[in-house]
Amino acid sequence: MEFESGGFTLRGVVHRPVQEPPVAGIVFVHPFAEEKKSSYRVFVEMARAAADAGCGVLRFDFRGCGDSEGLFEEAGPEAWRGDLRRAFSLAKETFGAPRMGLLGLRLGAALAAELAEEELELAFLLLWEPVAEGERYLSLTMRRSMLRRKLTEHEGGEALAEEEEEEAGEVDFDGYLVPAEIQRQIAEIDLLAESKAYPGPTLVLNLSGRSKVAPAVEKLASRYVSGEAQAVRQEPIWSTVGLVDATPTITASLEWLRKTLGLRLP
Amino acid sequence: MSEAALRERIKELVVQCLFLDVEPSSINDGDNLMEVHGVDSVNLFEIVVALEEDYGISFADEDFDVETFSTVGSIAELVERKQAEDGR
Repeated sequence: MEFESGGFTLRGVVHRPVQEPPVAGIVFVHPFAEEKKSSYRVFVEMARAAADAGCGVLRFDFRGCGDSEGLFEEAGPEAWRGDLRRAFSLAKETFGAPRMGLLGLRLGAALAAELAEEELELAFLLLWEPVAEGERYLSLTMRRSMLRRKLTEHEGGEALAEEEEEEAGEVDFDGYLVPAEIQRQIAEIDLLAESKAYPGPTLVLNLSGRSKVAPAVEKLASRYVSGEAQAVRQEPIWSTVGLVDATPTITASLEWLRKTLGLRLP
Repeated sequence: MSEAALRERIKELVVQCLFLDVEPSSINDGDNLMEVHGVDSVNLFEIVVALEEDYGISFADEDFDVETFSTVGSIAELVERKQAEDGR
């Protein structure tokens, strides 16, 4: 489907359940830059599973990303917040579902959590490995890029022109040159700063190889009136090269939806 | 935490972050993690973040050397050094 937001044509995919109307509608919110590419297939699989469970799903690309219009380097969280509001509004009209939810991954989860604070018609919120603190996310992502660069150099690969990027105020996010303005907007994100006003059921999934929930995830879940944190043993679906088996994440999400919304499981 | 306990903890993290189906104790202190266990930049990064969370330390950019993160033994030495620098 296509829709307008801020003068740009955004494109997305609608997944409908066999039986209409859907028992719930969910808008998926994709992560940032290379993380979006890595997790693309997982979003498709989750959307199909949710549709099998009776939900309508809208997956869409923010401006400057994927199939949507606009330039990546001229977009960023400030513009994407507007895109998400528009997508959510459109999904409500499209599905006519009694309940609407948001599912976001990484930076997409942060934007979903922000919208939850103002969207009165939001019935549930799923946050997959959310970016809780923008500054830490930037720092970790740059360090991961540096680590990858050093490993690549160690294996005889070509070094990147790091100094030239820094001069221009850009940083390399796994091949995406991210301008200073987008970095600034990301750095302002801080989900841990204060308690959340959103009262609905909220699931925060911590996706890693570890069996216990990370402190930041636990803290974020505790900020919600009805928040719940779960550790899911899952490879990093946002940074792994190649196909990833996301069954643990999808199963945990569907089980929570079933419990929370009374959905049937596929 | 003793040096031996630290090394065992690092082996547990390696098994968890690499989703290996082996006992942590089967990893030798001197095994090259990249060559023997297929550690790449993605899961090495997960190990780095886990170490920072577990031990309350912060690695500096200059710590990110391939040799430093090549074995359990060399990682343990780095963690001990960072703890000493932080006065722990």
